[in-house]
Amino acid sequence: MFGQGLIKGLSITLKHLFDKKLTEEYPEVKPNLPDSFKGSFMLKVPKCIACGLCANACPNNVIKIESEKDENNKKKLTGYKMMAERCLYCGFCVEACPTKALLWTKEFENAVYIREMVNLDLFSSYVPSPDDEKPAKPKKQDEETAQAS
Amino acid sequence: MLKTQELTLNMGPVHPSTHGVYRCVLTLDGEYVRNAVNHIGYLHRGLEKLAESRTYSQFIPYTDRLDYCSGLANELAYVMAVEKLMGITEEIPERAQYLRVICAELQRLASHGIFVGSFALDTAGMTAFFYAFRERDRVLELITRIGGNRLTPNYMRIGGVARDLEEDFFKELKQLMDDYDAAIDEYDGILTGNEIFQSRTKGVSIVSKEMALDYGFTGPNLRASGVDYDMRRDEPYGIYDRFKFEVPIGETGDTFDRYVLRVKEMRESVKIIKQALEQIPEGPVMAKVPKVIKPPVGEVFHCIENPKGHLGFHIVSDGSTKPYRTRIYSPTFVMLSAFPEMAKGTHIMDAVLILASIDIVLGEVDR
Amino acid sequence: MQIFIDLANLIRGWITGMGISEAAAEIVMTAVGAVAVIVFILIHVILLILAERRVSAFFQLRKGPNRLGPIGIGQVLADVVKTLGKEDIIPAGADKFVFKIASTTFFATALLAYAVIPFGEGMIIQDLNIGIFYFIAIGSTATMSVLMAGWSSNNKYAMIGGMRGVAQMISYEIPMVFSLLGVVMLAGSLKMSDIVEAQKNMWFIVPQFIAFLIYYIAATAEINRAPFDLPEGEQELVAGFFIEYSGIRWALFAMAEYANMVAVSAIATTLFLGGWNAPFGLTFIPPFVWFMLKLYVMIFTFLWVRWTFPRLRVDHLMHFGWKFLIPASLANILVTGIGIYIYRAITG
Repeated sequence: MFGQGLIKGLSITLKHLFDKKLTEEYPEVKPNLPDSFKGSFMLKVPKCIACGLCANACPNNVIKIESEKDENNKKKLTGYKMMAERCLYCGFCVEACPTKALLWTKEFENAVYIREMVNLDLFSSYVPSPDDEKPAKPKKQDEETAQAS
Repeated sequence: MLKTQELTLNMGPVHPSTHGVYRCVLTLDGEYVRNAVNHIGYLHRGLEKLAESRTYSQFIPYTDRLDYCSGLANELAYVMAVEKLMGITEEIPERAQYLRVICAELQRLASHGIFVGSFALDTAGMTAFFYAFRERDRVLELITRIGGNRLTPNYMRIGGVARDLEEDFFKELKQLMDDYDAAIDEYDGILTGNEIFQSRTKGVSIVSKEMALDYGFTGPNLRASGVDYDMRRDEPYGIYDRFKFEVPIGETGDTFDRYVLRVKEMRESVKIIKQALEQIPEGPVMAKVPKVIKPPVGEVFHCIENPKGHLGFHIVSDGSTKPYRTRIYSPTFVMLSAFPEMAKGTHIMDAVLILASIDIVLGEVDR
Repeated sequence: MQIFIDLANLIRGWITGMGISEAAAEIVMTAVGAVAVIVFILIHVILLILAERRVSAFFQLRKGPNRLGPIGIGQVLADVVKTLGKEDIIPAGADKFVFKIASTTFFATALLAYAVIPFGEGMIIQDLNIGIFYFIAIGSTATMSVLMAGWSSNNKYAMIGGMRGVAQMISYEIPMVFSLLGVVMLAGSLKMSDIVEAQKNMWFIVPQFIAFLIYYIAATAEINRAPFDLPEGEQELVAGFFIEYSGIRWALFAMAEYANMVAVSAIATTLFLGGWNAPFGLTFIPPFVWFMLKLYVMIFTFLWVRWTFPRLRVDHLMHFGWKFLIPASLANILVTGIGIYIYRAITG
């Protein structure tokens, strides 16, 4: 009979009128993000051995590593910049990191007012934390991790 | 006799129902389309050229940006093409194969979900749009768990997948698959069974078998025209030959068939994922592949059944780490070329629907 | 609750007490009534915009605007400020005079219909003895504004929208009038208050159910609401006849749409749902409240239908109007006439 489908549609929408709503009230309620979420980057500077694998893996040459050789002829990280405005968020750099120094964070509110501010300076923005190896002796840690890998 | 004049209407590139930056110059007689001319290229990013300056694995995230509604499936097509070139198709671990099938079918659900939603929107059924996107969002949340991003997960790797998935994921996936049938019934209730919707779509822009084949239609649009051909069943790639599923076929090839077929395909995808969840073995997810991928000199074409049709990659290797040439065969680019023919003689309201029924994604059309 | 009538009498007594003649007092009272109705409309338009956004959100599993104030009532203020603050853009190639007046006339026609709507016993600005006829006549003039807006914008989308609007509104005028005729035949009067009185025992929706359905469909088409919002045609015509309007001129179109919706709902309430009459003898609730309740039920059904159905195609719309609704409404008149004849023959 003509009209059956119309009535069925009306009944479906009426049923949902009283349903639980799915809207996420974002600024108040933060989304529940999975562990694999690719938000922003974090570099544990003491762990980094400045090997450059991440820069090599990057499809877009986002990562700029500055390093110098110290007295033991070991590479020492002196700068780690990410041109995040060109970043694809593919995660190859994190995968490539042999020492797990480069990690994803769940930080996703990356919008800024000035374009240049999108770029990350992971070396100078590093905040030492007790979970990491002691930042005072990065050289030693470098040797250990280098041997381990 | 009154003098009448044809009206040239410029639809797009900024228009609510061109599904992206696509422009179409319509010649209207009253409100009936006399002629339509496609204008594409607004979203051209030169992906094929970019591939030449990227290594084989570095191009994987770019394939996400082709048809951005079905990132995982695009990755699968590219990765399988490179594997074929390297000759390691047989070495992919079992678990990775199953994960790939699950990913591809999840992506099909998401892509068809966006089709149902946007198609409903083009008939002005706003509410059905939200119902379709409700399930799509659950799928996208699962894809976020797989790859970390909603649309550009970058999960497939040459030789397997990026990482194994945790037990939680499978639990949630199972839950979603159990809920999906009821959700599809809801789309049927609010759209498919609706008399207004049927009168809008039935008998509109009939694409015959011959015309579909002449224009090189693939995927759901081809099957809607009555050609019984599905690469998953007829030329099984990966492990698709292990699953039991039906290939729905359209009868008349009109806009309604193209819509209904996709809804039916969603049910089949759910079936495939359920089977895969039962069969999936434990084991590694990555084959032994050298860190630097250097395929032998030669060329390869591999094509898979993407949600929108056959997505193929033609890769020419000169033995170095970067492909000499990568050519992308994108299904919607081919099918969009039939739009002027399909839209001719129809009402302008139908032209919008026909465009939606082709299910174009401009990221793939323009590459 | 005769509070509004008491209030009116109070003002009237106050004015005449100042030594103004009866005729002048009548003019002042009409003006007061008109202002009251305009305030009524504006409040309803504003609430309806919020209600539409909230109700549609609930249908679509969303929450809708809920940030400003309780249940998002402050959103209305924000909308008003926003539309008032927008730049008034008039396209270079537009017919400027027609373009400017089109939005005003569209809103004005929406307001005029309220002159004959009985909100309660005695609560009517002018109880014309051709009340329904007046409503229909005023409703038809809205067609002109749609055409004016579509034509003067100098935009192809707007022109197609305007043309669609004219075709649709004129076609659906006819079944709407015919469906109302059945009620007029039963009541034996065109006067609104008489029709409401005639429904004391039985609402006309019972004997005139077909007419009610036809009226409902035709009225939806008449006020350009989905699924008949072809002149607006968001998907193919972007915004249809008011595509070039911005700021307060655009807001007038939006407000007129809601004002029209309230008007046709009020007419449906008056003619089919018994107006201010209380059902089941529940007379302790005042008539005005009954009227408003029925009005809101009608408005809710309009929202419900809009957020469920897809839009019709233009030619289907025309076929439906001319080949189905008009014959059906004519048949309804015939059946009603026979019924009245038999009823009179039996009761003498």
